[in-house]
Amino acid sequence: MTAIKIEALTLGYPNGRIAVRELSLSISRGEIFGLLGLNGAGKSSLIKAISTLLRPHLGSIQVLGMDTRQQAARIKRRIGVVPQENNLDTRLDIRQNLLFHCRYAGMPERLAAARVEHWLQRLNLQGHTEESIFRLSGGTKRKIMLAKAFLTDPELLILDEPSAGLDPGVRDVLWEQIRQFRQCGGTVFLSTHYLEEAEELCDRIGVLHQGSLAGMTRPADGLRLESGLDVAEFFRQAVEPAPCVSP
Amino acid sequence: MRFALTLLYRNLIIARADARYTFIRTVLQPAIYLLVFGLVVGRLMPNGAGGYGAIVAPGIIAISVVSAPLIAISSYLLTGYYFRTMEEWLLAPVSLRTVFLSMVFAGLCSSLVNALLVGGLAWAILGLVPQSPGLLLAVVSGGGLLFSLLVMLVLLIPERPEKGQELFALLMMVMTFLGCTFYSLEMLDEPLRSLALLLPTTYVSEGLRAAYLPAGPHLAVRPLLLGLGLVTLALYPAAAWAFRRRLGHFTW
Repeated sequence: MTAIKIEALTLGYPNGRIAVRELSLSISRGEIFGLLGLNGAGKSSLIKAISTLLRPHLGSIQVLGMDTRQQAARIKRRIGVVPQENNLDTRLDIRQNLLFHCRYAGMPERLAAARVEHWLQRLNLQGHTEESIFRLSGGTKRKIMLAKAFLTDPELLILDEPSAGLDPGVRDVLWEQIRQFRQCGGTVFLSTHYLEEAEELCDRIGVLHQGSLAGMTRPADGLRLESGLDVAEFFRQAVEPAPCVSP
Repeated sequence: MRFALTLLYRNLIIARADARYTFIRTVLQPAIYLLVFGLVVGRLMPNGAGGYGAIVAPGIIAISVVSAPLIAISSYLLTGYYFRTMEEWLLAPVSLRTVFLSMVFAGLCSSLVNALLVGGLAWAILGLVPQSPGLLLAVVSGGGLLFSLLVMLVLLIPERPEKGQELFALLMMVMTFLGCTFYSLEMLDEPLRSLALLLPTTYVSEGLRAAYLPAGPHLAVRPLLLGLGLVTLALYPAAAWAFRRRLGHFTW
């Protein structure tokens, strides 16, 4: 069973910049798939497209068997998303943010209240529930984002650099929640900068470079790409400045 | 509908949290306008005590009706842009059209609430009661809808919504002073009269005058309602297009 099927996908921006070029990829249900790439590689654009926020220029994306162009609302009902940047409502407190997230999804009030309490407790956020979003640390905001993704009981979790800027304690909480989600049959699509995170969590890892899939690997294969190149070595070569050529 | 009501409830919670500011904006400000222009200036005018008051009060209600959608909708778009909350709304399991219509609905509701509050103030301060409540409801609904769509269009055409907000504030100033809010259309000579007929505030103000004082000077009701309806119909596809263009391919 396929959770995400991407075929010959090209994504572009209104200014003409191409973010992702003819990318094809298939992710199975129950899999944790990691996407590694440098800044500007196209990871966030790909994540936005899978979350139905960006329309493909060419090609197609199927999420849980549905096309992102045709069935966006139905897809959104079954996914949980943690975007790269927090999108918390700064006019509401923590509890209200979580409750409204459930209400936007059409969840009945009582169920929403129960789920919010459960996740507040699970992520150890009970002490801050009426605090303004402005006063929270980056780690706490990220935990609320994670709680939001889980609240609607998704089948597929889409995480865009979820641990960026987190201290090791919060990162461990995040990893634990991801592992538990997978144990319950969930699928995870995760983009990250950190090799260690990909190696720790993922079943398969794709390397995205300049909008194209440069290779695939598994932690079990020692993070070696099909070309034989080590992932870390690949990134070292990618960021190395071009040699100077004398005139 | 559930999504629209939730979005509206969010605005209510924020208005309650900012109770002092909400009170100043929705009650104190129009009350001062009604006191100064309706009561004080009204008594100084040569056409008799309260005469000008009856002309200016519907105009003050109109200002409240047409400016309410700017507050409601720009709150969504500006918060949505600067704090990325728009992404939260776009990720809700509803269509893009539902998000658009929900925000327009919030703008319309804020117009209705403002009309009720300022109408109540006009009754309390000037003793004005609408003679035709049906027409009042039609004009407030039409005006609220028209301005909700206009706000959406103007705020979403520039890349950043705050640029649109500045543009809309400029438009509002022109529409307020030239759009028959502080005087009736009958008081104007050409070419100002023709210019006023191009501004939607004229139709809202004159419509409210027709609802409050059917015997007083105002535009004929049928062309007035037709004008409001036609402009609203023309604005709908334009505002929906601007929303789809800016947020259907979400690059904020």
